[in-house]
Amino acid sequence: MTKQELQPDQKEQNVQPVQGEPEGQIKKEPTLPEEIKEAYRKLEKARSILHTAGNIEVGETPNEVLVEKRAYRLLHYQQLVSKTARTPILIVYALINKSYVLDLQSDKSWIRSLLSQGFDVYLIDWKAPTAADKYVSFDDYVNCYIDDCVEAVIKRTKVEKLTLHGYCMGGTMSAMYTALHQDKVRNLAVIAPVIDGQKDFTVIGNVAKNMDVDKMLHVIGNLQSEQLYALYSTLKPFKQGINKYLNLLQNIDNEEFVDNFLRLEKWLYDTPPIAGETFRQWISDIYKKNLLVKNEMKLSDKIVDLSTIKVPLLNVIADEDHLVSPQCSAPLNDVVSSTDKRIMMFHTGHVGLIASHYSQNNVLPKVGQWLIARSQ
Amino acid sequence: MVENGNVDNVQEFMQEQVNKMFELNGTLKLPTIGPMYAFSKDFSSYANDFVTLGKDMVELKSNMDSYWSLVSAAYARAVRETVERAPKQLTTKEDFENYRRASIEAFEENFTALFTSSEFSEVYGKLFGSQLNVSKAMQSIVEKNFKTLNLPTRSEVDEMLKDIVELKRTVRDMKRSVEARNDQARIAT
Repeated sequence: MTKQELQPDQKEQNVQPVQGEPEGQIKKEPTLPEEIKEAYRKLEKARSILHTAGNIEVGETPNEVLVEKRAYRLLHYQQLVSKTARTPILIVYALINKSYVLDLQSDKSWIRSLLSQGFDVYLIDWKAPTAADKYVSFDDYVNCYIDDCVEAVIKRTKVEKLTLHGYCMGGTMSAMYTALHQDKVRNLAVIAPVIDGQKDFTVIGNVAKNMDVDKMLHVIGNLQSEQLYALYSTLKPFKQGINKYLNLLQNIDNEEFVDNFLRLEKWLYDTPPIAGETFRQWISDIYKKNLLVKNEMKLSDKIVDLSTIKVPLLNVIADEDHLVSPQCSAPLNDVVSSTDKRIMMFHTGHVGLIASHYSQNNVLPKVGQWLIARSQ
Repeated sequence: MVENGNVDNVQEFMQEQVNKMFELNGTLKLPTIGPMYAFSKDFSSYANDFVTLGKDMVELKSNMDSYWSLVSAAYARAVRETVERAPKQLTTKEDFENYRRASIEAFEENFTALFTSSEFSEVYGKLFGSQLNVSKAMQSIVEKNFKTLNLPTRSEVDEMLKDIVELKRTVRDMKRSVEARNDQARIAT
C-alpha cells in the first residue's frame, strides 16, 4: 500500500500538540530523560492498544444476509436514503483478504457512499476455503457462486439485469462473468481488475513468472495465509513494514489516527487462504500465459471471450497501484466491444482507491454519476 | 571430475560425490527375488524416499544461499546509500529524523528494485520449487506410513475430493439445464 493509502490525511499524520501550552510562547525543548520517559510511555500505550486491536469494529453499515452457502454470503445493505437508481448493484469482492475493506469505517465506506447516492447495494462476501475446496476453480466462482448471487438479486429486485461491480480479483471475475452471462448484466463497473498479466510490473507479477503453481497445487493444496503474508512483505517492505509502526508511535495520542491505523491493519492481516486450483489458474492462466486478454481462457468447456462484452463498461484505475499495475487493468477497455466505455484514472493506490477520504471526495462522486446515468 | 581445477568442474565433482553417497540401493545391492523380496522391496522404497529427501534438502540449501546472497547484496547497497544520504553528524532531533527518512528511503528503493528484478523472480521461483520438493518428499514418506497403518492416504483423499468437485459441477449443470427446460415449457404453455 502506498503512503497515501495508509496515512491518507495529512492532519492525521501530525503529532498532536502538547496539551496546555499557550500559543506564541517559546516551546521548551525536553531534556533527554524526559524524552526517554515520553518514548517509554508511548511504547507502553502502543503495546496495550495493539493487544486489543482485534476488537475494533469494521463493516458497520447495516445489512442482512440474503443467502448463506459454504463458499459465500450474499449481503443486502439497508437503504440510507430513498432509492433513486432502479438497477441494483452487486459487488463482487476479491478472493484476497476480506470484503469489509469496502466498509472499513463510516466516513471512508465505499458501500455507504453508494447507498447515500440512492443505489440498492448487494455484496458477495467470500468465505475462507477449507482443505476440501482445493479443486474449486474459477469455473465454480464465476459460473456457480456469482451466477447464483446474480439470480438471487434479480429475483428479489424483479429486474432483468443488474450492475456488476468488481474490485481487484473480483473485477476480473466480473469481467469473466459478463463475457459468459451478458443477458443478466446491464453495466460492468470494475476497480483495478487484473486483465493483461504480461503488463503487470508489480512484485506480484514478477514473482508469479517463475512460480511452479502446478506443483504447489499438488503438494500444499490451497495457498495458505502465511504464504500470502510472505508475498505481501515484499510490497513496500520498509515503508509498510517499519515506517508505519514508527508513525503509529509518533501519533499514539491521536485517537482518529490510531483508529484508522487499527482498522486497516486488521484488514491487512485478515487473510483467508485461496482455493488451490483457483490460485493455479490465477497465476498460470492469467499472469503466465496471459490467456484472459487473448480471449483464450477456459472456464469448464466455455471460452471467456472478453470481446463479446457489449454492455457499458467503467474501468476505475489508480496510477500508484503497486498491487495491480494500471497498464494491466486498462486493456479491458481495448478488448471489449462496448461502445459506451470509460477509464477513470485517479492519483492514488490500490486501497486508497476504495477506502480513503481521497476516494470519498474524488472517486465515488464520479463513479456514482456514471452509474446513476445508466441505472434508470 | 576435476580436470582444470575450475569452479564448474569442482561443483560437478562434488555433485557426483553427493550422488554416490546417497546411492544406498546400489551400495547395499539387496536381492530383488527370493525370500528377501518383500524386505528388499520395502527397504529400497524407503531408502529411495530418504535419498530423495536428502537431495531435495541439499538443493533447498543451495537455493536458499542464492536467495540470501541477493538479499545481502541489496542490504549492503541500502546501507551504503543510507550513509551517503543521511546527515553526517547526529546531534539534533532533526538529524535523527532525517537519518530515519534517509534509511527508509534507501532500503525501500533497493529492496523494491530487488523484488521487481528478473533475477529475484528466478531465484525465488527456484527456492519456492525446492521447498515444495522437500514437502513432497516428506509427504511421500508419511503416505507410506499411513498405508502401513491401513489408513487412507492423502493422495487417495485427494482423488476423492477431485471426484466430489466434478460431481458437484455435473449436478449444477444438470440443474441449470432442467431449469432452462422448465422455463421454456412455461413460456410455451
